[in-house]
Amino acid sequence: MNRRHALRHIALISGGLALIPSCDFSKEDILAAYENLKITATQKALLAAISDSIIPAGEIKGALDLAVPDFILVMVNDCFTKENQEKFTAGLQAFPDYAEKTAGKKFADLSSKEKETLLLQGLALTGDENPEGTVLAQVGYFLSSTKRFTIQGYMVSEYIQTEIIPYSLIPGEYNGAVLIADIQKTRVNG
Amino acid sequence: MANLNLRSTQERTYQAIVVGSGISGAWAAKELCDLGVKTLMIERGPDVKHLKDYPTTNMLPHEFPHRGQLTEKIKEENPVISKCYAFREDAMHFFVKDAEHPYVQEKPFDWIRGYQVGGKSLMWARQVQRWSDFDFEGPARDGFAVDWPIRYKDIEKWYSHVEKFAGVSGFKDGIAHLPDGEFLPGYDLNVVEKYFAETMKKEYGGERHVISARCAHIHGNADAFAAQGRGSCQNRNLCQRGCPFGGYFSSNSSTIPWALKTGNLTIRPDAVVHSVIYDEAKGKATGVRIIDRLTKEVEEFYADVLFINAAALNTNAILLNSTSTRFPNGLGNDSGVLGKYVAFHNYRARVSGEYEGHAEYTTTGGRPTSGYFPRFRNVYKQETDFLRGYAAGFSAGRGQGPNTDGIGMELKNNLLNPGQYGPWHVGSHMMGETLPKDSNYVALDGSLKDEWGIPQLKVSMDYDDNDEKMVKDYLEQMTEMFTKAGFTNIQTSDSKQAPGLDIHEMGGVRMGKDPKTSMLNANHQLHAVPNVYVTDGSSMTSTSTQNPSLTYMAFAARAAHHAVAESKKK
Repeated sequence: MNRRHALRHIALISGGLALIPSCDFSKEDILAAYENLKITATQKALLAAISDSIIPAGEIKGALDLAVPDFILVMVNDCFTKENQEKFTAGLQAFPDYAEKTAGKKFADLSSKEKETLLLQGLALTGDENPEGTVLAQVGYFLSSTKRFTIQGYMVSEYIQTEIIPYSLIPGEYNGAVLIADIQKTRVNG
Repeated sequence: MANLNLRSTQERTYQAIVVGSGISGAWAAKELCDLGVKTLMIERGPDVKHLKDYPTTNMLPHEFPHRGQLTEKIKEENPVISKCYAFREDAMHFFVKDAEHPYVQEKPFDWIRGYQVGGKSLMWARQVQRWSDFDFEGPARDGFAVDWPIRYKDIEKWYSHVEKFAGVSGFKDGIAHLPDGEFLPGYDLNVVEKYFAETMKKEYGGERHVISARCAHIHGNADAFAAQGRGSCQNRNLCQRGCPFGGYFSSNSSTIPWALKTGNLTIRPDAVVHSVIYDEAKGKATGVRIIDRLTKEVEEFYADVLFINAAALNTNAILLNSTSTRFPNGLGNDSGVLGKYVAFHNYRARVSGEYEGHAEYTTTGGRPTSGYFPRFRNVYKQETDFLRGYAAGFSAGRGQGPNTDGIGMELKNNLLNPGQYGPWHVGSHMMGETLPKDSNYVALDGSLKDEWGIPQLKVSMDYDDNDEKMVKDYLEQMTEMFTKAGFTNIQTSDSKQAPGLDIHEMGGVRMGKDPKTSMLNANHQLHAVPNVYVTDGSSMTSTSTQNPSLTYMAFAARAAHHAVAESKKK
């Protein structure tokens, strides 16, 4: 069955969910997909830059090539509670300041290596209950959510699942005692 | 009736009417059609045609906008159905949404429903263990509910009959209280599950078994199923979307197309049954009154024989709403037990653990089933401080968890090249028998009505002390067994989930020997209205520990043959 047809079909019988625009990623629909978030174009560009640092392009495509930033926003918009959406957007808002304070430069002006170091630091943030600590916790939450959805959006993408590590709808007969040593592994270079 | 459909009575008359197209209704219809009976099958929901109406069946994971996850909006709007394990982005269109069909929870009850042709047979878990006399004799031996009017010998050949047609994979395990059946080749347990099974045999003197659960999947030679247009299970584990191979049994892939081929079946979808029509002069039921789901028009259909298989609680609702001068409290309800003695399965408890052994092994491919622990408590005699017992699921598996360490190219390569295997994870969940009792009941609400003007169903079911003791025992016993097997990091949990989420609600129209204390006789007929048969979950006198669907199927086939034999006597 045609994929779009199938999706429309689900939407119809499941009571007209607002799913179609969000999976389509086409330009006219895209803003509606983030209606629960107050995200500016600049912030979206920043999110894209972060996801690009998390999974960059190399020998094979990276997160930016696979529209992962859109996927992140769809998930936060549709699948996060209101409270978590607020934490996420607060963290996104606070990130430029955090980057400048911590790394001494705007995020965009950092080298790849510096970006990675900053993100690893940011991912480890847990914060505390003071006003400043609350902001740090939001930054940490924003970055860990972004990393999680970057991984999901990248690994469960058409590109990865058809061209790199093909997903099989028919996994084959069960073998309940396979020697791990006998399994052939082919290395994929990112 | 002013808006009664004007088509002639003759056009709306059949030899038999079956209400419900789920696992039991469609079985009754298939048998009736095979026996040459012109049959009308009525379904309250829309039609779902095999292959054609499985919109997600071949979708890849990335094609789901949320990769399978439910959105917050859906969860907020559907607090009940969102609890169901199978209500996910790929199959949610087959489940009833909370707002569509409200009901009254006098006590918390998660009612999981599928209103469409095929009912829940599309999304069921496909486990088909036979019941035995240890189940059918349970109430009489242990002094609860009423005695079943039938025994295993009455149903044995019907189990064989439905297993051969549905396709059941399993092994002949030779366990007295889990009788063997007509099996296609079984699915092997994996290396750790086998180890656990052997350990249990040794540790408990051969009294505790772990087997590969019998499941309604075609495995091995599929030739016998070609006539149904079905092929082998492909181990996709996407069953809840509807199977393009017909690899598992559903009404949609099996009994319905088969019955249609006889030329004897008419399906009327979108027809909400209001009540059974009782003719006071003739002293029998003559048909059903339906309300069109979409147009709200009232229409009547007539037949000599009626099967009410609307799924357990809805069959109760229909009979309760079928009042007449003769039956002011619901059809066939002289005894006053209609709607009472409902019960369910206790799925609250789980135990998990890890196993460091067999570290050199893993598994490949897929399978549609896993391990099964038949009941071992109180089987031959009463030995605990609670009545009856529990079965349990058991499975072991391991994987190379995605390595999400690092960032940048390091992370990317970690993700693309999963490294070390983790330990084996083992898990079990209980399936406890609950005792039907007077205080657990369903009834029609006195004032609230649904969209079709039919009183809403009020559900009042709860756990009792027997269930609490059983949960405790399961957790203790499974912990002991895991420990004996050398499993580590053993975790126990009691979800305290409300009844209903087990999706094994039963009773309310129970079978029994005495019309004063039961609704149905040994042939599945209403004692007081013998041309009405009921063979779905509502007819169950007790609940056993085994998944009940196979027994509904066998009951439906048996009852259909009885109905035809009776009609020939006249």
